[in-house]
Amino acid sequence: MKRPTTGRSRHSGGPNVGRPGFAWALPATIFFALFAIVPLIGVAVMSFTSWSGLGSPEFNGLDNWNKLLGDKVMMQSLWLSALLTLLGVLIQTPLSILLGVWAAGQQKNRAVLSAIYFIPLLLSSAAVSVLWRALLDPNFGIPGQLAGIFGGDGNLLGSQAGAIAVLTFVGAWQFTPLHTLLYQGAARSVPPVLYQAAEIDGAGTMRKFFSITLPQLRNTIVTSGILMVVGGLTTFDTVLILTKGGPGTDTTITPYYMYRKAFQSFDFGVGSAIALVLVVIATAISLIMVRATGYDKMNSAQEGI
Amino acid sequence: MSNTSRWLKRAVAASAVLALGVTLSACSGTSGSTANSNRPENVIHVAVYGDAGNTVEQAMVDKFNATSKVQVILDRIPGANYQQKLQTIISTDAAPDVFFNWGGGSIQPFVKANLLLPLTDMIKTDPALQSSFLPSVFNAAAIDEVPYGIPMRGTQPVILFNNKQVLTDAGITAPKTWDDLLADVKVLTAKGITPIALGGADQWPTLMWFEYLFDRVAGPDLLTKAIGGDTTVWDSADGKAALTKLKSLIDAGAFGTNFDSVSFVDGGSPALLRTGKAAFELMGSWEYSTQQTADKAWTEANLGYTGFPSIADGKGDGADLVGNTNNYYSVIKATRYPDTARDFLKLMYSDEFVQAQLAIGNLPTTTTTEKFLDQAADPAYATFQFNLVKDAPAFQLSWDQAYPQSASADLKTAVSQFFTGKLDVAGFISAMQAL
Repeated sequence: MKRPTTGRSRHSGGPNVGRPGFAWALPATIFFALFAIVPLIGVAVMSFTSWSGLGSPEFNGLDNWNKLLGDKVMMQSLWLSALLTLLGVLIQTPLSILLGVWAAGQQKNRAVLSAIYFIPLLLSSAAVSVLWRALLDPNFGIPGQLAGIFGGDGNLLGSQAGAIAVLTFVGAWQFTPLHTLLYQGAARSVPPVLYQAAEIDGAGTMRKFFSITLPQLRNTIVTSGILMVVGGLTTFDTVLILTKGGPGTDTTITPYYMYRKAFQSFDFGVGSAIALVLVVIATAISLIMVRATGYDKMNSAQEGI
Repeated sequence: MSNTSRWLKRAVAASAVLALGVTLSACSGTSGSTANSNRPENVIHVAVYGDAGNTVEQAMVDKFNATSKVQVILDRIPGANYQQKLQTIISTDAAPDVFFNWGGGSIQPFVKANLLLPLTDMIKTDPALQSSFLPSVFNAAAIDEVPYGIPMRGTQPVILFNNKQVLTDAGITAPKTWDDLLADVKVLTAKGITPIALGGADQWPTLMWFEYLFDRVAGPDLLTKAIGGDTTVWDSADGKAALTKLKSLIDAGAFGTNFDSVSFVDGGSPALLRTGKAAFELMGSWEYSTQQTADKAWTEANLGYTGFPSIADGKGDGADLVGNTNNYYSVIKATRYPDTARDFLKLMYSDEFVQAQLAIGNLPTTTTTEKFLDQAADPAYATFQFNLVKDAPAFQLSWDQAYPQSASADLKTAVSQFFTGKLDVAGFISAMQAL
């Protein structure tokens, strides 16, 4: 078979049918290059300079990186980021799978309840954080008024464990609805024929959930997992408003530490270095997750139906 | 086909030249000696910290504009993160001609970057720009003895506030000495009242306790030396004694246990004081207007105030103060109309300005303030503050403003960790030495 050689005839058949050329991706690529790649290069360059925002940056070699390596708060912040992300995934995933599968039912009451449940997602993270900060005030908020239940002095944000628990809870409160929505859509697209076949074979509700629903949700679990991990690693506003990285530096996660260095201490060099570390780690984790789960092959979950 | 590619080449070349041209002209604009020709014509911008005090500033600007050819435009920058916003714009063409600041460390980086106009020439033309203000206040905005700021608004000493009703009910009085304070703490904790309200979540209210303890025990020199670069002073016997005293107050339960979740900015710690859940609060003089906004009648009847207790065997005078010495206006070097700026700054010592500031509860530090004290929002409170400032042998600028901004985050972290017990005396000392 003779392969077409001119560009024009490519449109009239051959292996590229329906696959638009690179030109289609051009607007998005330019946008991405201008607003992501170029600033990223700028940040990379800046991580080798010392700059306070006044005057011009001065190159200082590996100074910033050496400082960062010996910085206890930086190392701690990486662990804290990892911990908060992990807690987020562990708490939000089961919750949102159960809620999503439940909300996938066609009953009216479920539709109404899931609409109400969706509301936290519509609020900005900043508003949510301000709201919870007021609600959790130790003297005038819920812990102060319900001392019997919470016990102690309502000092939820005053200990590391307490502050991490609050951050995890507020994150879950806000973002579980998003993941619930993903699972609801996915659960609805499971072909009913699978359940019908299982019922004929005598499978109960539990068996159907574990043998049909969960395996069918596999790709959604990966998608939602990646969203949670990347979102967790870049969490910032809740920490800024709820704990300011405190008590002390007990909840100073990496993005907050970057903000503190760059915009509070005006050490843009070190701030850029932290930003770069964050970019590398988040990219690496996403790649590993995509590879390990076979998500990049995007096989359908409905093979053989 | 070839037509298209030629057109493309031309377009690329043209846009490259255009981009280069823009860059070049931008360069010549910022590096040239006539940088101020880039600045707007016939106006000067005055940037202020945006809050309730802006009414007086606006009135001054209106008054000035009525007679001036070059108009003043007041830019109110919302209060939170003022310093950060300022640092972002100050080296650009959008920088304000005149801006609000706290003197000391808050303008030091700008002076180092050669952005500010030394006010020496202005003062030569109009000596009253210096002589109308209390010297201790005026000098707090001088860097290496060159004046860079003219006092505006007022002085804000840190005062020990109390809830009179709570003190009466507990049968105690406001403490005059450190031992009095410890005794009061004992009585109050026994009654189940948090002795001292502290907005620990904000961290800067915590810092105030360090400022006073170090002043009273070690004297005001310690911090001057430390900022000057001699960090060994933190490790001195005096420094350790101050920390030990503070530690014993914390361990006595003076601040309760949940101060780390309480914030002044949110209104948490003022509410503790107002509702009688706490007896004292150490806070800047703005506590008065904060309480007044929340409950005017209560403030008039029940808000008590005294200076910080003296410490018997300490090196610092019992009348020393800490706090915000004053707010200042500084002028940037690039301004197009330095003479207009000078004329505008002259208003800062006018009788009208002093009276207007007093009327909204601020305490200006001009030499004429005293004769207008009876026109203040609360004459008794204004007189109390004025005498504190007048009689103080030393007035220490808040540490977070005396230190350059780059040290401020680490400073506040160390302070809050000492209060929660995460840093001990030795740990705090090494944290301060690392600033």
